[in-house]
Amino acid sequence: MVEVLRERIMKMKDMVFENLMDSLLPFPMDTKLFSSWTSSLSKNKKTVIYTSYMYQISGILKKYEKLFPKIYRINMPKKLISLSKYMIRPGDSELKRAFNIINNISNLLKKSNVDFGYLYENEPYSGAILLESGFLYEFKKYGEKLRDFFHEKGIEELITIDPHTTNALKRLKELINFDINVVNYLELVNFEGSGEYVIHDSCLYSRAMNMYTTVRKKIDESGIKLDENYLVTSKEMGICCGGPLSLVSNKDSDDISKMRAESLLTVNENVLVMCPLCYENLSQHISSIKDLAEVIS
Amino acid sequence: MDYDWNVSLNRAILNNAPKVDKILRENPYINDIARDLRERKLEVLSDIDTYIKRTEESVKKNGGIFHIARDSAEAMNIVREIIGERTKIVLSKSNVLYEIKLREELSKEGMDVWETDLGEYLVQINNDMPSHLVAPAVHLSKKRISEILNENLDSTINEYTSTEEMVKKVRDFLITKYLSAEVGITGANAVSADTGSILLIENEGNIRMDTVLPSTHIAITGIDKIVPTLKDAFNEVIVQAANAGFYPPTYVNLTSGPSATGDIELQKVTPATGPKEFHVILIDNGRREAMNSDLKESLLCIRCGRCYFSCPAYRLYGKEFGTSPYTGPTGIMWSAIVYKQYDKSEMCMHSGGCSVVCPMQIPIPKIIEKIKFKYTG
Repeated sequence: MVEVLRERIMKMKDMVFENLMDSLLPFPMDTKLFSSWTSSLSKNKKTVIYTSYMYQISGILKKYEKLFPKIYRINMPKKLISLSKYMIRPGDSELKRAFNIINNISNLLKKSNVDFGYLYENEPYSGAILLESGFLYEFKKYGEKLRDFFHEKGIEELITIDPHTTNALKRLKELINFDINVVNYLELVNFEGSGEYVIHDSCLYSRAMNMYTTVRKKIDESGIKLDENYLVTSKEMGICCGGPLSLVSNKDSDDISKMRAESLLTVNENVLVMCPLCYENLSQHISSIKDLAEVIS
Repeated sequence: MDYDWNVSLNRAILNNAPKVDKILRENPYINDIARDLRERKLEVLSDIDTYIKRTEESVKKNGGIFHIARDSAEAMNIVREIIGERTKIVLSKSNVLYEIKLREELSKEGMDVWETDLGEYLVQINNDMPSHLVAPAVHLSKKRISEILNENLDSTINEYTSTEEMVKKVRDFLITKYLSAEVGITGANAVSADTGSILLIENEGNIRMDTVLPSTHIAITGIDKIVPTLKDAFNEVIVQAANAGFYPPTYVNLTSGPSATGDIELQKVTPATGPKEFHVILIDNGRREAMNSDLKESLLCIRCGRCYFSCPAYRLYGKEFGTSPYTGPTGIMWSAIVYKQYDKSEMCMHSGGCSVVCPMQIPIPKIIEKIKFKYTG
């Protein structure tokens, strides 16, 4: 029998919301380190690349997920939790990979003549976790704070680089008066690539934001060949990597990842993703897996 | 993950999903009909009282008896009153019958009640619950079914018995139940307000028996199943059948009242060969409240079950994803409407395939997001 632990979910909501309202971050993190992938972008642009730290933190989210039940059980003091930013850090190779991906996206944008800056360590988190967990009230409240922050910084346009952030901001436009333009990098760049892959679509890009066909068209035109199978990669039958289920159960989340990985591998042993969380979940079960932004230029 | 479930599910997906895709590609008019149907059903949801009244008048005009029930208890009381002293009942597959716990209640009261859809019959004799709206026994492998039939129907059945032979043995048993049944109880795929007709689709032929052989036919369904016209009702069953992977359906049963004949001087006389009584019971059970809330579009669901196989949570959890019979993505919405149960919504990953395949274009992930909010808000 599956048990949904409401108390655990509520505790998570309270902790994340409190952190966001205090610091614009879901949990303590070393923003100076995570924003050090560049030093050459201007701090004073109305359009900025917006990482929301997704690529940088995707590798440590699982560590936080494991830590969370302990925090929840022993009611860990806030001061001690704040130290976790020094204790829970991505490995050097993980961070290097994340920085390479973001830099590649940044270079693709420059190549496409997009003029943009970066907020560096002042960059806030999008609030996506609140939306995806159904904490709509908190998401809207945080969304207002986020909008006001961007207003203060004079930001008029955000270039997002991952599906969760893109979706969260586009949903804020539906839910509150979020008057900042949001555009995903895939809408702005053209690219070249090679190789043959099976693609694991991001649920948010392909279905929630209806980008299934446009993304495929760009990839097809790049020179990359995608192998398709209706039961595995179609818009109708492709499924999630399991990541969002970790709020309920880490084991169940991993069961979905394993199921998804097995079906993808029946199509091609080389798997392509477009989301740092999908990468994190599926790479536990797939040896040859790349983010799109690692294979294009 | 449960091995048997995984095997049964994968076979079902392989047998069903490409077939539905092919049906819809070869018959593009079905999606056109679905788009029109969505608009017609929205009209009903926006003015439900008018359409209930219109349905009542139409049913009565045809010589049928109309009932409205606020909840399960009221529906069951109406059923008991209609059945009276009679004890032999046959049922066709209906989620609303599960919703009001009809078989459970009548069996407890000593009645001889039988599910006549093969899948539901298997679920019944296995003391189980359905795992899918359209294919209630999808969780049972052929081997497990042979064991269930061996224990409950015929000890000569074993794992080497052919599927055809198993189906024949069940049919032989159920024939005796049809022939002795005094009351046939069904659901309805659609109810047309303008003619007071109910439409039921099926492939086995059991519903035809259930609705014609007993002297009384009771159709119980939700107020959400009302559509403006008979044309819309036919459209609904076409869209439902195609998206369930059975197109064309083997049988479409239309009932607009008790049996009648006009063969003597064209004077309408009732009953004739079929039932002498036809009852329509429409149940609310939270639907009206949902119509006035952000769950409204859930009520457009035509129960084709197509969303199930596109859902990772259903693939993992099976019938535990929801409250049976309302499982799968649509079941999360219906568990919220009917049972006010919100917790299972947390298992939804917002994968989104459900809304892509939904012929009624219900934004299921966004509705489940709101159900999550009801749970944690």
